[in-house]
Amino acid sequence: MIKIRAEHVDAYYGAKQVLADISLDIKERQITALIGPSGCGKSTFMRCLNRMNDSVRIFSLRGDVYLDGDPIYADTYDVVQLRQRVGMVFQRPNPFPQTVYDNVAFGPRVVARERGADLDSIVEESLRRVGLWQELRDKLTQDALSLSLGQQQRLCLARVLSTRPEVILMDEPASALDPIETLRIEDLMRELIELYTIVIVTHNMQQAARVSDWTAFFLTDDGLTGKLVEYGETGQIFTQPDDKRTIDYITGRFG
Amino acid sequence: MLRRRFEGELKRLQDEVLGLGYAVQRAITEAVDGLKVRNLDVSQQIIAGDSEINRKRFQIEADVLVLIATQQPMARDLRALAAILDIIRELERTGDYAKGIAKISLNIGEEELIKPLLDIPRMSEKAMDMLGRALRAYIDNDDRSAREIALEDDEVDGLYNQVRHELVTLILADPSRVEQANMLLWAAHNLERAADRVTNICERVVFSATGELGELPNSPDQSDA
Repeated sequence: MIKIRAEHVDAYYGAKQVLADISLDIKERQITALIGPSGCGKSTFMRCLNRMNDSVRIFSLRGDVYLDGDPIYADTYDVVQLRQRVGMVFQRPNPFPQTVYDNVAFGPRVVARERGADLDSIVEESLRRVGLWQELRDKLTQDALSLSLGQQQRLCLARVLSTRPEVILMDEPASALDPIETLRIEDLMRELIELYTIVIVTHNMQQAARVSDWTAFFLTDDGLTGKLVEYGETGQIFTQPDDKRTIDYITGRFG
Repeated sequence: MLRRRFEGELKRLQDEVLGLGYAVQRAITEAVDGLKVRNLDVSQQIIAGDSEINRKRFQIEADVLVLIATQQPMARDLRALAAILDIIRELERTGDYAKGIAKISLNIGEEELIKPLLDIPRMSEKAMDMLGRALRAYIDNDDRSAREIALEDDEVDGLYNQVRHELVTLILADPSRVEQANMLLWAAHNLERAADRVTNICERVVFSATGELGELPNSPDQSDA
């Protein structure tokens, strides 16, 4: 099942073309990793998937992106609902300066106007999904910033889950974490795909290899415009890639 | 426990190795049985089935490479995977011995056996029992059992010497039987080699469990392999 389909996506910052002709299918309940050197457009592309680039005034896009078959760049498409369905976790944990509870409850309060016992159960369920409930059940009123970085990142993931998304976009979610916390996030991602579709951007090729089912390799040949070089099953990309440039990159002979 | 994905894949691959091992065990056992009871249909099936054993081996090999490339295993995880690559090669070669025995059976054809087969089936039984336990030791990371199993190769060698002595005596008594006796000698030789390969597998079990690289007592002379 295809969850998101990108068709011939070109993206521009003003007159500068930053993505050229990207066509890519994101499979439902699988993990798709976007890899490539800095400036190859992988983050820009991921941000096209929930229209996070809309806030950049000079950004424009040609081509189409479909979520469950509906074109998300259509004029009538509800962007607020899109971002609830396609949630995002960022590079550095960014909890709100509030309690653990309020961080997770934030989305459901604002979006679904949940209150009381319903809200409590959403918070508990979200914290359970990210493996934080046992650790934090007695510390729900604690300041989120007092948690370890790894806990903060999982809290941010719980905050995304609390609004019941279908797709989770992760932009370098483990780059600020130590190796053990990194593996914990990776294990968590493997659990989450029972329910969610995940797209991850990572500079850490080994992480992409470990965690993903599908890998897309992006590259720019002029330092400006990102292109999709190769896309396939992760096992195949890391053992027998087709494209010479992919081979050079994953064997560390490039860049 | 961290790294559940890797653990799950490793476990799956180890099950595949066991599966390949059972297939090889069955092939040897049935090949010897086909030879003993002169069932040429069974011998044909063994020959046809060998390609499936080869296919399984290559599938496991490809999967191990993917796992190494994607999961960056270290220490005992890396050894467990490296051991698989060696073990499946030994298994595939053992499968070839089964095919060899089946071919011998076909070559003997409708001829009657020059002697009832007793020790050859015993060799097969012993070697395949060792094989099953060696694979179990691999799964259990049990280097102690592996070392013990390797020592049992002496029993197979003992049986082989007995078979050889008997067949040579037969040839000397009646040179007209040399052709079939020679073929039976080769069948026994295949089984002796199969047991040697179990010893090789035991070495890889010790390596996987402890990191120790080396030959066990009874290791087949490599130049002879």
